[in-house]
Amino acid sequence: MKLVVLEGPRIGVLRDGVPVDVTAAFADIPYRTAADWMPRVIAALPERRAQAEALAASGAPVADARLLAPIPRPPKLIACFANYREGRSGERLAQDMFLESPDSVIGPGGTVRLPNHPTDVVHHEAELALVIGSRVKDLPADERAFAALAGYTAGIDVSARGIGRMGPSRIGKSFDTFTPLGPCIVTPDEISDPHNLQLTLTVNGVVATDFNTNDMEYNIPEILAYATSYMTLVPGDVILTGTNHIGMGPIQHGDVVELTIEQIGVLRVNVEDPLGRAWPRPSAA
Amino acid sequence: MRIATYDDNRIGIVTVAETVVDITDLLEQFNPLSPADLLPDLISNFSALRPAIEERVAAGGGTPLASVRLRSPLVRPTKIICLIGNYREGTDRPLQILDIFFKSPEGIVGDGDTVILPPHDATIFHHEAEIAVIIGQESKDVPQDEAMERVFGYTVYNDVSERGTGRAGIASFLGKSNDTFAGFGPWIVTRDELPDDQLYSLNITVDVNGERRQDYSTADMERPIAELISYISGVTTLHPGDVICCGTNHQGLGSMQEGDAVTAAISGIGAFTLHVHDPLGRTWERGIDAAMAQRVRDMAAQAPAQRGASA
Repeated sequence: MKLVVLEGPRIGVLRDGVPVDVTAAFADIPYRTAADWMPRVIAALPERRAQAEALAASGAPVADARLLAPIPRPPKLIACFANYREGRSGERLAQDMFLESPDSVIGPGGTVRLPNHPTDVVHHEAELALVIGSRVKDLPADERAFAALAGYTAGIDVSARGIGRMGPSRIGKSFDTFTPLGPCIVTPDEISDPHNLQLTLTVNGVVATDFNTNDMEYNIPEILAYATSYMTLVPGDVILTGTNHIGMGPIQHGDVVELTIEQIGVLRVNVEDPLGRAWPRPSAA
Repeated sequence: MRIATYDDNRIGIVTVAETVVDITDLLEQFNPLSPADLLPDLISNFSALRPAIEERVAAGGGTPLASVRLRSPLVRPTKIICLIGNYREGTDRPLQILDIFFKSPEGIVGDGDTVILPPHDATIFHHEAEIAVIIGQESKDVPQDEAMERVFGYTVYNDVSERGTGRAGIASFLGKSNDTFAGFGPWIVTRDELPDDQLYSLNITVDVNGERRQDYSTADMERPIAELISYISGVTTLHPGDVICCGTNHQGLGSMQEGDAVTAAISGIGAFTLHVHDPLGRTWERGIDAAMAQRVRDMAAQAPAQRGASA
């Protein structure tokens, strides 16, 4: 099942790529905003799924639906540090991750707004995003960990470099609008192998990064085990699994950035920079 | 006004007579989805609620403070934002670049609760006492001269810290996001009780099993609270109940280990105690971690006012 959030907010399921309104399956779950609704919807998914699927099969498609992020504000947004081998062999680097502001999320069709901060450059980072489905702690680093997942989505970890005091800039990834997520949450049963998915990111139609999740340094169960050795994960939490930096480049005013993950979909956002800064583009590979 | 969270998801006012007056029912009109909504609802509607709250406090009564179980005054903020090194620590270093990290809001504990040390291969676990600022309204791009108007109040924070884990040279700060590692207490003191002109003459202390560890003044804070709010709101939208922790003075840090009682206090706010449980029963040298203190002073002395290593 491919779950989406429509303006309203309404809950939808994609049928042949077009949303069908299935809000009725979740209508009794109270909320104030889409941000606090989705974690509760995700938690209820196992018991509501059949109902949602029945509605998706029988309902009329919603014309001109504007999608929001499938989790407009995750309870926690966690990002893995460099988690692809990128041609390195030998011993793995120590595993590590950090928290980003959950208020940095925007949805498909949204606009990344570059802030008025001095920055060396603003980069795109294409990432497979994990969506947590249940409350979990101390997961094992094996197949059993997958049970904690509600599904997968695409994430662009927009990164302003050279901000902050030390290390790779965490603050530079937490600006409002810097974490596009979407277009949908794909349940695990629709993903043949999450460790064999191609991610292709284009800027203005030109391919920048193009890599496969089979190059991940720490696999998904290891990521889940590491995160939950520290903190409890809750429904709606999102983990960005890291990017392959090969081909990574700048984004600037007027750019259209499109991330395609096979079996998930296309996440497209625009870029706006009131300062109109320009950085050198990488030469074509 | 002093606002406490206590017993099972009750919100109350701590009175001068050291009683707690329950105001939870005044918050029902906002239809909280969960107990985590009570405090943000109180904060968002505080001016409107204040007459009814004051009337209730004036009527007297309440439960003796000693007979309630205080909880963390913050239940589950959308964000815990922590400053990285924001005290001069006895050095005359140049002003450092402002930097922050986000801490897991799943990790909150309060007065009388127990910090559980995880089985990670850590070099040590430290206490870090700090003043914490609770945000009063949704805030984005707030100019410095308006920033203090966005403050709801203050509380005491213990930023429990696991050292020596993760990838070298990365500074992920993940070791601060273990469950039970965010201690807040004993209550929130509203901004009117702690006027702006007194904020930089507060004394912050930590006692471990009665032995003094940290003991420093907010006068040494490098960047004032208005600047922190202004800068951070330029990065990320702040919500009512979000908390900005202003950083610690590392001179006086020490270990937290099995059986310890760790009391963090700020003059004008209050004190709260965390207990420590380590299933592995590890031990470290007691007392102040002098090597850590020296390391931070050296770092400060050498650090140019520009960015450190990046990857």
